[in-house]
Amino acid sequence: MIWPIILLIATPFLIGVSGLVVRNRQALDVLHCVQAGIMVVSSMLLVDEVSVSGPVSFLYFLHADAISAWFDLVIGIVAGTGTLYAVGYLGEQYDRGHVSLKRFRQFFMLFDLYLGVMLLAVNVENLGMMWIAIEGATLSAALLIGFERSKGALEAGWKFVILSSVGIALALFGTILVYYSSEQLLGISEEALHWAKLYEVGDQLDPSVMKIAFIFILVGYGTKAGLVPMHTWLPDAHGEAPTPVSAMLSANMLTMAIYAILRFKILTDQAVGPEFTGTLLLGFGFFSVALSSIVLLLQEDFKRLLAFSSIEHIGIALIGFGLGGLGVFGGLWHLLNHALAKSAAFYGAGLILITHEHKFIARVPGLLREHPAAGVALFVAGLVLAGMPPFGLFVSEITIAVNAMNTAPSIAYGFLGVLTLAFATLLFQILRMVLGVPMETQISTVGPRCRAFSTAALAVNLGALIFLGLHVPAGLHDLIGAILPFFDAEGEYF
Amino acid sequence: MPTLPINIGSYLVNLCSALLLLTCFAIVAQRRLMACVDLFALQSVFLAVTATLVAYLTGIHHIYLAAVLTIAIKAIILPRILKKIVRQLNVQREVSMYVNIPTGLLICGGLVILAFFITQPIVHLGFLLTQDSLAIALAIVLIGFFIMVSRLKAVTQVIGFLMIENGLFLAATAAAYGMPLIVELGIFFDVLVAGLIVGIYTHQIQEAFGSVDTSRMKALKE
Repeated sequence: MIWPIILLIATPFLIGVSGLVVRNRQALDVLHCVQAGIMVVSSMLLVDEVSVSGPVSFLYFLHADAISAWFDLVIGIVAGTGTLYAVGYLGEQYDRGHVSLKRFRQFFMLFDLYLGVMLLAVNVENLGMMWIAIEGATLSAALLIGFERSKGALEAGWKFVILSSVGIALALFGTILVYYSSEQLLGISEEALHWAKLYEVGDQLDPSVMKIAFIFILVGYGTKAGLVPMHTWLPDAHGEAPTPVSAMLSANMLTMAIYAILRFKILTDQAVGPEFTGTLLLGFGFFSVALSSIVLLLQEDFKRLLAFSSIEHIGIALIGFGLGGLGVFGGLWHLLNHALAKSAAFYGAGLILITHEHKFIARVPGLLREHPAAGVALFVAGLVLAGMPPFGLFVSEITIAVNAMNTAPSIAYGFLGVLTLAFATLLFQILRMVLGVPMETQISTVGPRCRAFSTAALAVNLGALIFLGLHVPAGLHDLIGAILPFFDAEGEYF
Repeated sequence: MPTLPINIGSYLVNLCSALLLLTCFAIVAQRRLMACVDLFALQSVFLAVTATLVAYLTGIHHIYLAAVLTIAIKAIILPRILKKIVRQLNVQREVSMYVNIPTGLLICGGLVILAFFITQPIVHLGFLLTQDSLAIALAIVLIGFFIMVSRLKAVTQVIGFLMIENGLFLAATAAAYGMPLIVELGIFFDVLVAGLIVGIYTHQIQEAFGSVDTSRMKALKE
């Protein structure tokens, strides 16, 4: 059965292109609701398909194994709810006269293209084409970040273009080095970049080339993943982009960059053993968590707060992957739950931005009373992101910590220390916003359409978070079982 | 198939790569923006010549296509776009830099040594014809980075980015006899789109800030 993968990837491109001819706002809304539904359902069907009957191939360039299916799920579900939310959010901007119909259509064309290339990136078989898709995501994101054309948006967009282009150029150099090494084994052909083929001959690749290549890949794609110290574009872009875009940057693009790093990590491990990449991932992961856990406290802008929290969580996942063993399970579970929780938090933040028209944490206390939908979203997502049980991030953080305790206790102590700090700082900031008495009385209300769409998006995200906290579907369990052998990991999870 | 002896071919490829590197230094030493764009176009021509030489000496035909695309996109289309931007923005000189020119040249010299040092353990794997080009390619990439961080004007930063792309293309051609055709086409497409997007951005920055001096954009920081 190949249609889930076809639907998942083709839908955003087709509906995006349809924006060229569809000039009616109502029709665009309907089309994007259909797109949201298709994305959520087909990503789940793809997981089911891959976990039951193994990898799916389509045409000659798409190939989804268990790892791809996992990232399809993360990106697909969040892209679906993000589309719903964007329909509401941009519709509100349009109703208020902030954007013209032309800009409205432009936004959705770019947004769909952006979602489409990200899904493409995690499903193409050729590492060179993966690079092209990720560069495509960079370029479409660049235009989306600067969409509002304010000074702040342009500055953030320019920073993003420059830093990401540099990062992605480094990643291309790494990819060229991998090809340089692999074509000695597989010949001058396209197959020398197919990861399925590469994994068969991975142990014969030249270790010194692979080491240098992996450093370039990690720094390159790590820039897109927002790893400290290459993270400087991230808070600006998340803060200044239109909120649906911030949610997609955080939940999807960072995840996609981690996917790219993992593909090369598996290959490099085959050539040089897991020590080398493990140490690098642990180092970058640890510094990301440590820096962001402190900086969280200094934030005065709630979108930047969520951005730094993303840096922290990507760092935690990276520590999991760096440890290996069951840490890999922890990392995967972390990415899925983080994507759901962080996008929900951004959806809530976007609603506050619409009503208050500013982003100051200190000036929006009492959200639970003033604006229940946004308040509940931020409160629940904040609890999840801080790592409270019974939610998924608690499970993954505990798994990673236990795994660290068994293999390298010194890392575990440091990890638990920064984790506690991040727990306190994030929760402090979130509680400042949701509790207390509303301060500003002169606020506008959210239109009924926007309220309906964003409530629907939030319901799916929060529902999925609670569901995954209480119960693990068999398909996901099997899928993780199929992923672990790639990392030479085994053991009991759940 | 090649009629030139392989060692002469190798010399020629090395000569062209060295010329590429030389244009990098020229760009670092140049203050006038128009001249920088011209030097970038010249560098792209050298790159296309290198690619043609490699294609001729190895008999791998798709590298010819890449050479033609290099001329079309990097030596003609992108320089035109950049010159149009420079003219529109009315900025002719890069008067402000974080590092002055002699220091910049010295740093670039250091970067070249660093590039040779990094690639030393892996060059023996490569093809005899193009062994030294990998180090030169990495050096060009590093100098491109240096230009991006040391210059203030948006346009010069773009030239730095495009130089990095040239270095990468040289690495792919020299070290691996070109990436697979589909990948190479995709990369060219992306570079072209990146050039256009950067053009859009410089225009909007000029309108919003009244200047393309990126040091004026410092509202967002911790």
